[in-house]
Amino acid sequence: MKLKLRVIILVFALAFLSFAKAQDNASTIEQQIATIVENFVAENEDESIDFESLYDELIQMAQHPVNLNIATQENLEAIPFLTNVQVENILYYRYRFGTFNTIYELQLVDGLDMTDIRNVLPFIFVGKADEKPEKLYFSDVVKYGKNTLLLRLDRTIEQKAGYIADADGEKAYLGDQFYNYLKYRFKYRNRISAGFTAEKDAGETFVRKGHIGYDFYSFHILANNIGKFKTIALGDYRVSFGQGLVLSSGFGAMKSSMATNVVAHSAGIKAFTSTDENNFFRGAAATAGFGKFEVSAFYSNKNIDAAKEEDSFATFYKTGLHRNESELLKKHTINQQIAGFHTVFNSLYFRVGITSVYTAFNADYLPETSGYKFNYFSGRSQWNTGVYYRTRFEKINIFGETAALSFRHLATINGISVSPVSQISLVALMRYYSEKYDVFYATAFSENTRPNNESGIYLGAEIHPFRRWKISAFADSYRFPWMKYQTDAPSFGNDYLLQIDYVPSRYVSMYIRMRAKDRMQNSSSARQATPIVEFQNKKSLRYELKYASGNFSFKNTIEANAVGKFGEKWTYGFTALQDMSYKPVSLPLTINLRYHFFEAENYDNRFSLYENDVLYAFSIPMFYGRGSRYYINLKYEIGRKLALWLKLSQTVYADNREEISSGHEKIIGNRKTDLRFMLQYEF
Amino acid sequence: MRQFLLLMVLFGQFSVAISQISVVVPRSPNAADAAVADRKMWTSFGNPANFAFAKSLEAGIEYQNRFMLKELAFRSANFVLPTQLVNIAAQASYFGYAQYNEILAGIGFSRNFSDKFSIGVQFDYLSAFFAAQNQYRGALFPQVGLNFQLSKNIHLGFSTFNPFQTNIRSEYSEKRIPSVFSLGADFYFSPDVVARLQGDKEISSNFRFAAGVEYTMLNTLTLKVGAQYLQYIIPDIGFGVKFSNFSFTLNGEMHPALGLVTAAALKYRFL
Repeated sequence: MKLKLRVIILVFALAFLSFAKAQDNASTIEQQIATIVENFVAENEDESIDFESLYDELIQMAQHPVNLNIATQENLEAIPFLTNVQVENILYYRYRFGTFNTIYELQLVDGLDMTDIRNVLPFIFVGKADEKPEKLYFSDVVKYGKNTLLLRLDRTIEQKAGYIADADGEKAYLGDQFYNYLKYRFKYRNRISAGFTAEKDAGETFVRKGHIGYDFYSFHILANNIGKFKTIALGDYRVSFGQGLVLSSGFGAMKSSMATNVVAHSAGIKAFTSTDENNFFRGAAATAGFGKFEVSAFYSNKNIDAAKEEDSFATFYKTGLHRNESELLKKHTINQQIAGFHTVFNSLYFRVGITSVYTAFNADYLPETSGYKFNYFSGRSQWNTGVYYRTRFEKINIFGETAALSFRHLATINGISVSPVSQISLVALMRYYSEKYDVFYATAFSENTRPNNESGIYLGAEIHPFRRWKISAFADSYRFPWMKYQTDAPSFGNDYLLQIDYVPSRYVSMYIRMRAKDRMQNSSSARQATPIVEFQNKKSLRYELKYASGNFSFKNTIEANAVGKFGEKWTYGFTALQDMSYKPVSLPLTINLRYHFFEAENYDNRFSLYENDVLYAFSIPMFYGRGSRYYINLKYEIGRKLALWLKLSQTVYADNREEISSGHEKIIGNRKTDLRFMLQYEF
Repeated sequence: MRQFLLLMVLFGQFSVAISQISVVVPRSPNAADAAVADRKMWTSFGNPANFAFAKSLEAGIEYQNRFMLKELAFRSANFVLPTQLVNIAAQASYFGYAQYNEILAGIGFSRNFSDKFSIGVQFDYLSAFFAAQNQYRGALFPQVGLNFQLSKNIHLGFSTFNPFQTNIRSEYSEKRIPSVFSLGADFYFSPDVVARLQGDKEISSNFRFAAGVEYTMLNTLTLKVGAQYLQYIIPDIGFGVKFSNFSFTLNGEMHPALGLVTAAALKYRFL
């Protein structure tokens, strides 16, 4: 209690002692990036999405913005919230009216509203049109390269069951309760990137039999634009081509409130800087350009986690957690080799590419063959090939990708986007993923977490009916021809979203979002001899208001949902929050505060709410039950080189629960307090 | 009957029949008790951001009679001292009778940022008598508030009372102190007519929604009417008068099951 009061006193003392001088915009680039990412995540509960990579990518792009006057389609497409129509319109404007003289000319580009322009500003600048790529000199790299060191430390204050010794003095987890990582990154403009990451999860130990040090290491060296080579990567890297149907180890297209932003951008080869212990390649990769052709090749050889039994394994173990003997037994038991090839032809109006990937294990992958896993891939190796395309005709963009696993099991996604007038953007997307299309590194647009066992049609629209108003909507109808997890029969569902944005001034913005989702799931009543799947309907309504004055910015969010299941009473959830951010003029300090309460009758009514966090940490905690949560997130810059972050958060449940979580993660009591510290040193 | 009502009110936070905001907090004299965004009339243990707009020293007393039972009455007093840096307010409230009583005291600090918005924080101490131990026990907890002028005619208010869910603990029992999240807005149709909307959520109770309209005539007489919803619809009517440096407000709400609640407030501004 004393700690909390001290924190409050400190914050308010700082607020009162600093005069609120007028400032155009209190938000920093970091906050802006956080807002963009929040738009993506707001309606996604898929925990497997690596938002850390997207966040990192945006931070890197903001540090090395693109010259609008020489930017290629690919450069602009790398900005993930720009739709392909918007990219085309920017390029068309430059083609039609010549180079941009000022950034304000963006207001004249069709299909870009003030919110889009505000979002895009950190990632672009207006430079010379005849700017040529600089030659790379080693002395420049050494002299002007930027080094960054990051150290992060997290801990849950309350002790979890896994760290408490039993009667024999034994603890379930071998290590301590700290999460820790150390990252070093070298960057020379957007030409050279090198980095090293070492990470230890909470519960993992530094010292155990036969091992001293962190649990996970990663390193990379990546160079861009070296002679014919567009990219050369060594060490750990990510690869994404086409719509992600064959290969996308990064952040793929997904449903979000940006209703027309469903086209995956072919990111190519990128450095891997995340702490995700699975979704990356380890080896070498390169892309070379030959006129309008680009050719890429890559090879990866790494050990992955699985419960190996003799010469086979049944499941992948993807948590990256190695906290006890049982989890350590699964560590790096399987060798995985991946080799791939990609070539693309680019012209002004047409692009076509082919991607082929071969994956091999040193043991047989033999998943269960019953139930929803019946169609899972099994064997030692798989070969997957796909062709993707994009073309533009007048105001119509057509795009798609078709892939086949072992030349038999088909997956295809095809779409059309059109902007008939500047106020309207429309997109239609059709997908079909065979139930036997089961590949390891695909991340394409889908309702499931991966493109498999699904077909559907998605329609999206963005309309600007009046100045300052925007209407976004999508409707997605999908079908699962085979069983899926917790659904023991073929099923189907629908997903609808309607969002109305209103921006009355540059300091005030608001939106109201309605979402309705119906899908089929196993009946929750007693187990039946024949599987019975029933509809579950979830409807949610969210209102969000942002407002700013001087160095302060505020946000209110109110959200309610209702879940109905066949033959059962509807259950309800409600949450509301107040955010405050403050950045005093006289101090290099940023403060984020939040207080929010939630009441969700059961798990189906849960809420996932984005939170401000320390740099590169991405926090979307999920809540159900009844309680409140609050946090303070501080950033303090000491000089130009050193920056510190500290986040203290606490969740208090008020639903008479006497313990939080279960198993080794169980905490006795109704409070959970997390402390997170981060240091960034740039030199 | 009287004993029954006493019992219900004392254990109010566990009951759905009475207001979710338990007896710890006195109600405001605003229409429908919707005061979270009100910049003109701040009330004891209301939104601490609201007293940032006081321009001169103010002192006031409040009396609230619940269901015509003097044992359930609140007596509270408050004052606010404006300074250049922050406004400082002190408040105290007494509830109960000889055998059971609660004393709530608080000191708050609030700052007005160019009339655009204000932020306030208040530290409260609640002391309650525990019959089993025959002694008082207490707990310290904060209140935090914000008042923001969204446009010329719209003010937003946010307030949280006991956000950390602090409770009073004794050897044998625990008394819950309500933890309340309030959000509301005032819409000025003209300088004389304001509509107030507010939603409150006590963490373990039902939602309360309140709406009211206040009309001020000749800058002297204010008429108030409103209603709040908490299981029942509770209508509310009141008036306020200003004379010289004094202002007086009287409100009455009619609970359909428990009866009449009246609240009177007298304030003096040292101009």
